[in-house]
Amino acid sequence: MNEVIKHIIRFILLVGVQVLVLNQLEIGLGIQIMVYPLFVLLLPFELSVIAVLVLAFAMGIAIDAISNTYGLHASSLVLMAYLRPIIFKMFAPRDGYDNLKEGSSYQMGVRWYIFVYGILLFLHHLWFFTLEIFRMDDFFFILQKVLLSLPLSFLLSTLLQSLFVSKPKER
Amino acid sequence: MCMRNLIAFFKRFRVFLVFVVLQLFAITTYFSFLNFPRARYLTTASSVSGSILGAKHEVTKHFNLTKNNQNLQKENIRLRNQLPESFHRLQYGTVKINDTLFRQQYEYIPALVINSTVTKRNNYFTLDIGSNQKIKRGMGVFSDKGIVGIVHNVSKNYAVVKSVLTENINVDIMIEPAGFFGLLKWDGRDSRRGSIAGISNDQSIKKWSKVVTRGGSGIFPRGMPVGRIEKLKPVEGKPLWDVVIRFSEDYRALQRVYVIKNLLRKEQENLESEIPADKEE
Repeated sequence: MNEVIKHIIRFILLVGVQVLVLNQLEIGLGIQIMVYPLFVLLLPFELSVIAVLVLAFAMGIAIDAISNTYGLHASSLVLMAYLRPIIFKMFAPRDGYDNLKEGSSYQMGVRWYIFVYGILLFLHHLWFFTLEIFRMDDFFFILQKVLLSLPLSFLLSTLLQSLFVSKPKER
Repeated sequence: MCMRNLIAFFKRFRVFLVFVVLQLFAITTYFSFLNFPRARYLTTASSVSGSILGAKHEVTKHFNLTKNNQNLQKENIRLRNQLPESFHRLQYGTVKINDTLFRQQYEYIPALVINSTVTKRNNYFTLDIGSNQKIKRGMGVFSDKGIVGIVHNVSKNYAVVKSVLTENINVDIMIEPAGFFGLLKWDGRDSRRGSIAGISNDQSIKKWSKVVTRGGSGIFPRGMPVGRIEKLKPVEGKPLWDVVIRFSEDYRALQRVYVIKNLLRKEQENLESEIPADKEE
């Protein structure tokens, strides 16, 4: 499948799932599941940082426009896109990144995926809920929201990833 | 020379600059919208996202159908009880007169909530009517059980309502039957509970007494239900009550609402604008 079309389909599907399903859920305890950061993680390794930033911004704005959050998702996703190359560098494989691969757990290994996506998703959630509440005296409420939402977001993204990413054939 | 340095600077930090520009744009939109709706293209009042949500509503509108129908039926019964047919006539031969004692002050426009959230810090609802139906910013919105919010932003066919579940909703309300005034607040945690600010603790208030709108700002008529007082706690170090109220409306399953048009709003605003501007808030 053409690479560009593949990413466009991912973009539309993730925005759709986030806006039409996950943003409508009310689990309680301040939990909000967010899976769309997966799109930024799975962008090609060789794509320039500026392109990643612009794409992340576009995705955030698309979600904001439909769920009345006015730049909240965009801001968090742009932050994550900016930190992506830094975290990637920290967990780089010994002989660098293979441009033919993408950042999924199947191609980069489960350990890499858990660390890189876990850290990026944590920073995204932390920024998101801090901006949303924006009061220092609600610090523990922010922490509660982050720590309860993060595992659910991570698990659901991993499940969705198995739909999007083709597994390499066993030889 | 200076120019070349500048170009070199931009080249070196261009990633960071793009990041800062995008981030600033997102954050300013977010914080400016909380106070005043400027970014029209970023809201569900725009036609693209409005129609997406309209399509979503077509699918999900039946989820709470039973409950909504029951509520409508209850309201119908209440209104039917006021119809002339349900009264026994005691006196025949009265003459119909043109009523000069009462004049219509509030008009109600029915609407459907096509999108809503209750878990965010600031929750906005989208309605399926807009300026084509004469909806304007600042009008009150209520349902058959209680108040819902204030219209925040309007496009041709859609309107965004700043709901009771936002930080700075500040509807002026009073506690019945004593009539103490306060402002409605929401702390962002529980969509069933809010609080009242500014009730001083020398006033004796009973649990489960009714909380209704005061009608002071002309957005809501006086006496519209808000909720009941669930908990009373003294605030430490201040002569105030911390009053927790339970909303009479369940905003999680809200669908049919009414927008209030106050025909005398302008008159009240004109009169009140003559007060010299020295008050705080």
